[in-house]
Amino acid sequence: MIETIAVARMLREAVTTPYLNLVTRPTGVAVRGRIESVLATSEWETAMLDFSDVVLLDLSCADEVVAKLVRMAQERLGRLVALRGLDEHLWESIHAVLEHQQLAVAVLADGSITLLGCVPADVHHLFATLESATPLAAAALSQRLDWGDARTAEALDAALALGVCRRAMGGFVRVPLA
Amino acid sequence: MSRIVDVPAQFDEQGLDQLAQSIGVWPPADRLFFDARGVQWAAPYALIGLLTAAQAILEAGGEKPLLAVPAADDVRSYWGRIAFFQHAGDLFEFHGKLPKARGAQPADTLLEITPVRATEDVHQVVGRIQEGASRILAGELGLEAKATMGFAMALSEACQNIVEHAGTGGWVAVQAYNYRRRLGRRVAVIAVSDSGIGFRRSLEPTQAKRYGDRWRDGTALEAALIQGVSRFRDPGRGQGLAGIKRYLQRWQGKISVRSGTARIAIVPAWDDDVPLVEDLSFFPGAQLQVTIPAQDAGTT
Repeated sequence: MIETIAVARMLREAVTTPYLNLVTRPTGVAVRGRIESVLATSEWETAMLDFSDVVLLDLSCADEVVAKLVRMAQERLGRLVALRGLDEHLWESIHAVLEHQQLAVAVLADGSITLLGCVPADVHHLFATLESATPLAAAALSQRLDWGDARTAEALDAALALGVCRRAMGGFVRVPLA
Repeated sequence: MSRIVDVPAQFDEQGLDQLAQSIGVWPPADRLFFDARGVQWAAPYALIGLLTAAQAILEAGGEKPLLAVPAADDVRSYWGRIAFFQHAGDLFEFHGKLPKARGAQPADTLLEITPVRATEDVHQVVGRIQEGASRILAGELGLEAKATMGFAMALSEACQNIVEHAGTGGWVAVQAYNYRRRLGRRVAVIAVSDSGIGFRRSLEPTQAKRYGDRWRDGTALEAALIQGVSRFRDPGRGQGLAGIKRYLQRWQGKISVRSGTARIAIVPAWDDDVPLVEDLSFFPGAQLQVTIPAQDAGTT
């Protein structure tokens, strides 16, 4: 199941400030702790962090809230962290910390899914080609992308390692976010 | 017995270096008498540096320094309006006439001198500057509206350096002013200073061995600002200064960091500062200045 978490609400609960600025590392730690508490009581497969109403996100908080949760999900096979409600500024902060740590995350924006962070160009292409409901075999992907099998295999390995696609019924699907 | 230390007439980044030179050996053995009567212009960076000097003297067990306040009415009034005297009251014994009331904050001051001691202070500082930052950065400096968020992010990261690394409190001020001397344009400046352990001591436990005999204030600053080294082993650490650098690159901004006996800077084309200065006179803690210039038409 997808567990959607309103980050702004977690922030309001974590700090007593009139501002919806997700800044400082201790604040990030506190917000992440609240998110982890929610997840601990949920049968989640995907944690959808909704950043709507968050005005400012500094790099320390992007690391504590996003990067550390992405890494945690990676360590629990089959789990995924995804994001939505990002404006341009939040997008930049999160991209910077994920790229620095060779991490990536799926983002739901304007009804479509894209990848943010350290994502090789081939993984972007592969991700755009994959479907979330119908598994595609590696050979079918090679055909659709007009790639050799080795290139497809390499991109699939990278996408699996980043946690943005999954094996399903002999093929591959991209992570479902809706 | 007290020793007179002249506060330079142009009290800016270089003025603070001159002040450090006049203070001499640290911590000073004599009671210091800072003579600011001749000051004609002061940057927030230098004013919080002066507070830092007094704070460090008191933290080292020294006697409360004396301060002769500026003779010029307009200078004294500005020091009052930016809240210098409000915070200096606990750190100095004043000589001379103080402004009667603090008066209104200068119109181009985004944030008067504000103490930073804990995480809550950083929240307050960042929250308070957001509205004014938009007015000044977008309205007066010609930056795109989105620059405001990056500015607030840079401020947050700069202030967090105090909370996380200094081991003591510090000060921050944010102001826009005409920087005629070097640039001939308006700038917005973030100034941060603390009297803490400085970059060399902060990084020493994890980095000194790598550098061996070359380990000193300058190499510590290079490690932090250029290589993004952190004292923490967590891979997510050390990104704060890198984030500030990225922001400044976009807006042709400048960052300079002074700690101990060295100062390092990322120098944009409009400035002729040198990237690294070593063997300066010692000054306690760390001082950081971020300068965002008004954009020429067409550069954004």
